[in-house]
Amino acid sequence: MSDSQTVSVTINGHVYTADCDPRLTLADFIRHKCGLTGTHLGCEHGVCGACTIMVDGRTARACLMLAVQVDGSTITTVEGLASGNELNPLQEAFWDNHGLQCGFCTSGMLMCATELLEENPDPSAEEVREGISGNLCRCTGYDSIVKSVLAAAEKMRS
Amino acid sequence: MTIAEPVHNQRKYVGTSVRRTEDPRLLAGRGQYIDDLTVPKMIEGAILRSPLAHARITNIDVSRALELPGVFDVITGKDLAAVAGQQPVIWLPIPDQRLAKTHALAVDRVRWVGQAVAAVVAVDRYVAEDALELIEVDYEPLPVVADLEAALAPDAPKLYDDWPDNVSGSHSYKTGDADAAFASADLVVSGSFTHGRAMGCPLEPRGCIVSWDSFSDTLDLWLSTQAPNLARDLLAEVFEVPVSKIRVRTPNLGGGFGNKFDFYGEEIIAAVLSRRTGRPVKIVEDRADSFVATGHSRDQRLDFEMALNNDGTIVGLRGISYGVLGGALSTVGAGPCWASVLTCMGPYKIPNLDVTVKVVMTNRAPYGSYRGWGAPKGNIVHERLIEMAARELGMDRAEIRRKNFPAPEEFPYFSGAAFTFDSGRYADCLDLAMSKVEELGWRERQAKARAEGRSLGIGYSFHIEPSGYGPSRIMNLVGLQHSGFDEATVRMDSVGKVTVYSGQINMGQGTHTTYAQIAADNLGVPMEDVVVVTGDTDSCPYTGYGTGGSRGAPLGGASILRASQRLRGKILRVAAQLLEASPDDLEINDGQISVRGTSSKSVSTRDVGDAAYRRLLDKLPEEEMPTLEEVDVFDPPNMATSYGCTALLVEVDRETGMVSLLDCLQAHDCGTVLNPMLVDGQLAGGLAQALGGALLEELVYDDEAQLKTASFMDYLLPTAMDIPPFQFFHQETPAPDIPGGVKGVGEAGTIAGVSLVASAIDDALSDLGVTVTRFPVTPPRLLDQIREAQSRKEGSA
Repeated sequence: MSDSQTVSVTINGHVYTADCDPRLTLADFIRHKCGLTGTHLGCEHGVCGACTIMVDGRTARACLMLAVQVDGSTITTVEGLASGNELNPLQEAFWDNHGLQCGFCTSGMLMCATELLEENPDPSAEEVREGISGNLCRCTGYDSIVKSVLAAAEKMRS
Repeated sequence: MTIAEPVHNQRKYVGTSVRRTEDPRLLAGRGQYIDDLTVPKMIEGAILRSPLAHARITNIDVSRALELPGVFDVITGKDLAAVAGQQPVIWLPIPDQRLAKTHALAVDRVRWVGQAVAAVVAVDRYVAEDALELIEVDYEPLPVVADLEAALAPDAPKLYDDWPDNVSGSHSYKTGDADAAFASADLVVSGSFTHGRAMGCPLEPRGCIVSWDSFSDTLDLWLSTQAPNLARDLLAEVFEVPVSKIRVRTPNLGGGFGNKFDFYGEEIIAAVLSRRTGRPVKIVEDRADSFVATGHSRDQRLDFEMALNNDGTIVGLRGISYGVLGGALSTVGAGPCWASVLTCMGPYKIPNLDVTVKVVMTNRAPYGSYRGWGAPKGNIVHERLIEMAARELGMDRAEIRRKNFPAPEEFPYFSGAAFTFDSGRYADCLDLAMSKVEELGWRERQAKARAEGRSLGIGYSFHIEPSGYGPSRIMNLVGLQHSGFDEATVRMDSVGKVTVYSGQINMGQGTHTTYAQIAADNLGVPMEDVVVVTGDTDSCPYTGYGTGGSRGAPLGGASILRASQRLRGKILRVAAQLLEASPDDLEINDGQISVRGTSSKSVSTRDVGDAAYRRLLDKLPEEEMPTLEEVDVFDPPNMATSYGCTALLVEVDRETGMVSLLDCLQAHDCGTVLNPMLVDGQLAGGLAQALGGALLEELVYDDEAQLKTASFMDYLLPTAMDIPPFQFFHQETPAPDIPGGVKGVGEAGTIAGVSLVASAIDDALSDLGVTVTRFPVTPPRLLDQIREAQSRKEGSA
């Protein structure tokens, strides 16, 4: 298409600039133009939550946004959570508590839980269940994810 | 209750909740799933699918699509059929079954909504989808067979013109004299049970990248499959090329659940497009594709009756299990429906059986594999009927179950229909679950809620899970056109580190961790020294079947265990030369080999590796072959039957028909528990799928066989708000026929969980006498039953 636009966005501290078709989704921009394939596409209609990322500090579904909408924004994806080779406390808690099996929903789950714990550092199990209820997981049955988030909350408070 | 029965010498890792080796990279977003991969020169495909359930294709015009800039090629069914055979069917359990086979692209007739009719490959997926809109297909609609009743109607339109009707086949299993047993029984209970269509629905859709190099005539695939060896063999069949020319690699799988066991048309379509364009071709489903192109399952009606004596002894079971197949057979054909009949007697001794499977074609999508296969439906039959009988006889639900179990000393126990159950302590397992329900105070919660006018119910389900599919020759005998053994290679390298190669696939169940646990314990090395490699037919050994049938841990694990034990023998023989000792006197711990009971002198696996690979002189015994490698092939003498007793606490809202799941526990026996944390994960995940299938998930077809639930807005996967917390309790009765004693565990939850929900709802509504027989039990369906029962009760009052 001839009417491509230049999009410049900061993702995990790096600035990415690329020409994109206006119809390019943000998810495809992140995955294909920036090579950050940790953001996964499970449904492309905004239900499963696997593509959840942070845009300017708030979670968003990358499959429901266009790349041209985020020009000038600051984005965090799952690749931005660890420091070097050190997993962050939330990721560690998922590892300790078997909070993932296939790992496909995990990126979105981690981003969602990150926001949840920022807003509520001491959630109850019920609050965690409600907080992650917009993210589908087909492997775990959720219980181990709830335990992971609660364990992370406890660790992060201490 | 856990009985520690040592299975091999040292058990440092096996039996402990080791954190998964797979996890750090997945948590960091560094996993590589099929759509994350690109290969040089790759182009992308998209599939045009039929909007009609039944129609003749009279013309396809692809000229405008071909003209679109960025399009490389467009193919139709005629193009494909000229170079590729029909899609293979490996399960033929019904003798003389009529086989409804099809090409990967429909040639002249479509038989379900979503059947592939043409394919485009273009510079990217966006352009490929643009081109799909430029293909013009002329259809001549045919009368539609939308469901089982329509398919069996005397004047039903036929899907296959040269068949007498829409029945693909039927097969009966008979033991004893069922008719005589029913004639003389004190009580007969019967039911017609239906399970709606559902699917495994892995969160990652399927996909492939296929490169056909016409100059070397090789076919190189990345494929999101649970069965790479099977895929390679079937590709060789379809294209009539040597297996040696085909390589199948599997990236990280974003869930499989059986849906990625089957062999699909998309891999054939991509191969043809790659051959024609000379470019690697990627085809990845989007969710809309997935709902119509990935295997549907569960769709069955089961009309069964059970005969009992007044003391609760079951004397007979008879009935028909109808399988509602789609417009063509999938890779596994009638397999899952057949398995529902093989498991319909469940854990109970039933001397007289007369059970039939009958599979029927409809204009729905093909019926494929989904975790649990037929067993969840078999479970509905025996668990629903035994509870109905308990009610009629005024017996306790646990008591009637206990009365009909085979005793531990009666194993191996022939079920009456093909399977022989290897071992079990069923009554102990039941007691374990019942005692936990007591301890956790569920009955008090129920009583208290009832006093407040709320309807809480406690449900039970006892399930069996035939696992470790299976002894190759027996599998062949019952109709599988493939094998069931497993092969592993365990290699120690020149610096004393270990690599395990397996044909099994890691799809989220954590086999890289459990295999490393097994190898480390049986070799006597630290787990950190073990790397597990899977997912490449060029470097990994052959596995019969694939990763399905709950065989990863028992069969994959057993071959690794045996190869490791033999390799340990060789390591000790080399070390004996280095230590100037007898191998029989040596032990190996944490990679250090020394004379047992002394710590004065030792060598490491590094020394042994060096002696076996590099500096052999005076170090490697003359009679030993250089290198340190063992291969094992394990073909099990029998399957290994896991089992469990699950309990569920629910609340039913009588005003809305809504069911809330409050608590769930399971007592389970999968033989030796390799990693309790991972076993619990398997049990929980499977239960969540079953609970979703029991209450929410349904692929709904209308009268024109249009799929009405083809997005996550309409096909409701359970969320964290729907699924209760779980507790698991293990009992370990080692599998007698599996080295290591491991039984499979992957499908337990899916088998147990559907009848479980019905049992709990019945209990919550016991005053109304409701019996749930149709799944999913959606709120409108349950509300109808509640209202009907209420008016019945009022009428009789």
